[in-house]
Amino acid sequence: MILQNLYNKVLGFFRQTETEQTESSKDTACNRLRVVLMQDRTNLTPELMERMRKEMVELLSKYVEMDKEALELNLEQDGDQVALMLSIPVIRAKDEEEIKAALEAEDKAKEDSSEESENEESDTSEDNESESSNEDEEKTESSEESTQDPADENQNEDKKD
Amino acid sequence: MSGRVIVITSGKGGVGKTTTNANIGTALARAGKKVVMIDTDLGLRNLDLLLGLENRIVYTIVDVVEERCKLKQALVKDKKNPNLCLLAAAQTRDKTAVTEEQLKDICETLKKDFDFILVDCPAGIEQGFQNAVAGASEAIVVTTPEMSAVRDADRIIGLLEAKEEIKSYKLLLNRVRPNLIQSNDMMSVDDVVEILSAELIGIIPEDTGIITSTNKGEPIVNDEKSLAGKAYNNVARRIIGEDVPFLDLDEPKGVMAKVKKFFSGIMGKEK
Repeated sequence: MILQNLYNKVLGFFRQTETEQTESSKDTACNRLRVVLMQDRTNLTPELMERMRKEMVELLSKYVEMDKEALELNLEQDGDQVALMLSIPVIRAKDEEEIKAALEAEDKAKEDSSEESENEESDTSEDNESESSNEDEEKTESSEESTQDPADENQNEDKKD
Repeated sequence: MSGRVIVITSGKGGVGKTTTNANIGTALARAGKKVVMIDTDLGLRNLDLLLGLENRIVYTIVDVVEERCKLKQALVKDKKNPNLCLLAAAQTRDKTAVTEEQLKDICETLKKDFDFILVDCPAGIEQGFQNAVAGASEAIVVTTPEMSAVRDADRIIGLLEAKEEIKSYKLLLNRVRPNLIQSNDMMSVDDVVEILSAELIGIIPEDTGIITSTNKGEPIVNDEKSLAGKAYNNVARRIIGEDVPFLDLDEPKGVMAKVKKFFSGIMGKEK
């Protein structure tokens, strides 16, 4: 009985140290800090990252068929450099016809929208030249997109608005 | 003489800016340098307390700026060390009472008579910070191995890098607790240095002696036996340009610690 107790205690001691090794609070702190500093340094909030991810999906799915949910977009740091890591699980390559069709549809949509909103476009191009502060930049960029290629995917425009 | 102006800043409050200022200033003065400390934390002045000079202050930096006295009249000499002076902050005014230009002018004037001008910066990144940094060409960023302090230090480093006048900045890691680092419950010195990718100028161990030294108004560098005092002295020597190795705080004390270290070493290899 006593021996078994001792055995359990010794085992417990090692288990404890083992879990400490894998999940120390220090490691948690380091990892959380790395993520939060990346956001601080790049001015990219989780919402903006999600939006960027969605836009990536939209853009890339013209060329390949991929697992839209599994596309991962992360900021990673290597020394002084910050890198944007994009991981895309491709389900199947699209054939030429499909790609052509998608691109043509997009070009057509662009033409249509430029005819509709010629005035607006001249406004935004002015904005483009005078890009200055970060926050304003983001706002003008988003408005450009919604004016220049709105008909590409209507669903998406709804989300933006 | 053209002195060096060093701002001691942190972003976060309570990490030990003022303590660092008092100790580095005292250590530099003990090494024979002429040192003046400027408290720019208007409305929340404390540097006078840490130096035990609170009863000797007649004029403050605001009196100098508003021309109620000459700059020299406002400099309070330290009790022990004639090489050390303090230009106190005003306790009754706020950060707008002094401008960046005025602080720059004060630093320029003091450069002629002193080897070192240490500027104690208030917490935060607002006007008080901008003022304190205005006259400086070097910075010491104080942080502790805690997430919030490291994050704020990162922010401060970003702001310092954007300032042309700041030629160099170094990191001072304060309140390090080797036993917590060993049990993996505190970020290590290497972790913090890697995350902030900044050059280190000092590692100060947590020391209860700091509390008693503050109580007495006597910087801990005056206590030869104190480990924190030694560490601050080393920082001062590095500032002067000496090559001083960092104190080894990781050495486990006692048999149990050694046994634990042995086991954790084995576990680490398995992983």
